Amino acid sequence: MPLSVLVVDDSPIARKMLIRSLPANWDIEITQAGGGAEALAAYRSGKVDVMFLDLTMPEVDGYQVLETLQHEDMNCLVIVVSADIQAEAVERVKAMGAIAFIKKPVDAARVEAVLREYGVIV
Amino acid sequence: MSELSPPPRLLDFVVDRLEVGIFAVDAEMKVVLWNHFMAMHSGHEPGRVIGRNLFECFPELPRVWLEKKIRNVFLLKNYAFTSWEQRPYLFHFQHNRPVTGGVDAIQQSCTFLPVKGAGDSVEHVCVSLYDFTDTAIFHGQLSHAIADLQREKAEQRRLIEKLEEAQNQLLQSEKLASIGQLAAGVAHEINNPVGFVNSNFGALERYVLDLFRVIDALDGPDGLAGAQAIRQQIDYAFLKEDIVALFKESKDGLDRVKRIVQDLRDFSRVDSVQAWQKANLQTCLDTTLNVATNEIKHRADVVKAYGQIPEVDCLPSQLNQVFLNLMVNAAQAMNQRGTLTLATGCEGDGVWVSISDTGSGIAPENLNRIFDPFFTTKPVGKGTGLGLSVSYNIIAKHNGRIEP
Amino acid sequence: MLTDDRKEALQEIANIGMGQAGASIAQVLGEFVQLSIPRILIVPPAEVPTTLARTVEESTVSAVRQAFYSDMRGEALVIFGQHRCNDLADLIGYEADLDHAAEVELLLDLSNILVGACLGGIAEQLNLAIGFSAPSLMADAIPLSRLLQDNPVPWTAALLVEVDFSLEKRSFACNLVILMPEAEIERLMRAVDLFLESL
Repeated sequence: MPLSVLVVDDSPIARKMLIRSLPANWDIEITQAGGGAEALAAYRSGKVDVMFLDLTMPEVDGYQVLETLQHEDMNCLVIVVSADIQAEAVERVKAMGAIAFIKKPVDAARVEAVLREYGVIV
Repeated sequence: MSELSPPPRLLDFVVDRLEVGIFAVDAEMKVVLWNHFMAMHSGHEPGRVIGRNLFECFPELPRVWLEKKIRNVFLLKNYAFTSWEQRPYLFHFQHNRPVTGGVDAIQQSCTFLPVKGAGDSVEHVCVSLYDFTDTAIFHGQLSHAIADLQREKAEQRRLIEKLEEAQNQLLQSEKLASIGQLAAGVAHEINNPVGFVNSNFGALERYVLDLFRVIDALDGPDGLAGAQAIRQQIDYAFLKEDIVALFKESKDGLDRVKRIVQDLRDFSRVDSVQAWQKANLQTCLDTTLNVATNEIKHRADVVKAYGQIPEVDCLPSQLNQVFLNLMVNAAQAMNQRGTLTLATGCEGDGVWVSISDTGSGIAPENLNRIFDPFFTTKPVGKGTGLGLSVSYNIIAKHNGRIEP
Repeated sequence: MLTDDRKEALQEIANIGMGQAGASIAQVLGEFVQLSIPRILIVPPAEVPTTLARTVEESTVSAVRQAFYSDMRGEALVIFGQHRCNDLADLIGYEADLDHAAEVELLLDLSNILVGACLGGIAEQLNLAIGFSAPSLMADAIPLSRLLQDNPVPWTAALLVEVDFSLEKRSFACNLVILMPEAEIERLMRAVDLFLESL
């Protein structure tokens, strides 16, 4: 059964850029969310295995999504994908339960390495 | 190295001999490149500097600040700059103007260039140091000149304000002077009707007394017959006719006085603030002519040749003053009785007014001086020499031209 | 000129460039930098001041101008509020109190870092070459409304990329504005189109 992957970013281009750099032979079903609220709705509907989450978004941003997921006992893998690449941002999101931080522009090799590290792909 | 690259020795020579300071440090701040310019100006030959820590060689450098700056170039992989405007003496290099002098040290701008190694990381920071002393001197001179100019401009603005104030005062006093000159004439103009109205009143008084006598006789001993006799005696028919004539004449006289006072008031406009307004220049001419009539009527016949002209935006009382100056000048120029012609018309989108006389005219040598202040050909005490100069300025203020 | 696709792409590219700029500043200052979502618009130069007035909060500003050249040509403005960045002096290696020259130097340094990182990031993603001139002080504590009045922009259109940087722990905030003339905007748009095609 394919994994369900949620890509969260307010920019459709950014979502496109990310999806393009996902491993080609990965058996997944992709859904997209244009904002934090939409992402949480998708998560609550109960079929997100891996979430790629942007940080800087209007209204509900990535930090707020992480916070809510923590409260709701996060049971999906969150990989933060952000242009804000300050060391402190990386520390913050990891402390909030994200398993990895991938900087924009997204590098396909880095995505694959992270997925391999967590055993999502073999 | 590709075949397109310049020969290495050429490159080395250029870097060394360029009239720009060039040096480079590694991540430990050790000097790895030190060109001729740096050597000549610092007095430190490359051999004494290369391989040593930059700040040990130059303890006078602002170490904390500069080291942070250079480290940031390593870190950020991006250019950095210093400018002679904020930090002219990063390195204290003696100036190269031993003869002309005027500066103590080279003023410099620096560019910090990240030099990447094989990978993406920066291995060296190369600093190029440019001598901006000449620019700084020119800039200083220019700043001084600009400051001077601005001071002068402010002074000029102040002078212009004073001049405008003086001009306004002049205008006012010229106006008072011309009114003063007119006073005698105006007095005469008023005195004349007042005189005959006064004598008319004398006659009317006598007539009224005569009429009283007729009426009183009705109650006298001779009754109606007595009254009829007195009526005969006072020539009632003539008296009746004359009373009507005297009243009419007196009323005309009083109207004339009233009109003169009105015109005088219009002319000097003492009763209202001066304001730009639409006015018909022909009305202005007529008002002025009435005020000046005593100056003119003995010397000239007035001919009006008015065209169709629209109203114009103007300061009527000031234009009146111009017309008065021109009319009085014209009248005074005629030694024997002549003709004063007032004409108006349109030309393009402007209107013109011409005031001409049949008098002596202006001597050619005086033509280009007539608008100069205090220039007059009139005898001492007769003219201020300001009339035409003031007129010129008034017309200029109206965006007009005044020409002889 | 600025279609939705192009605007979105540019926004994302600017976002990434800005992220790099923020990281650079954070590295230099050792403090966490808050970033806004970049705003991108094309306006007639006459409207630049009013557009800026909508986002620059302070009415008295200082501004640094830095030209960039090569495949991308234009001028970047970094606009600082009244308090400028004196609060950051110690973070950037100044030991004593700042005199005016040092204060200006600090503005120039910070602007250079911001502009270099942000525009460098944009150029890199679009595969464009870019170089930078030395920054210079364009306005020293003047009313915002006079900023471009005294320095008019003689172009028919200006591309405004506005981003805000602020620090959590110190009083510092600035806006970065990228101004480009019309012909240069067109050139940039062609690069954006190529970028979009590569997706």
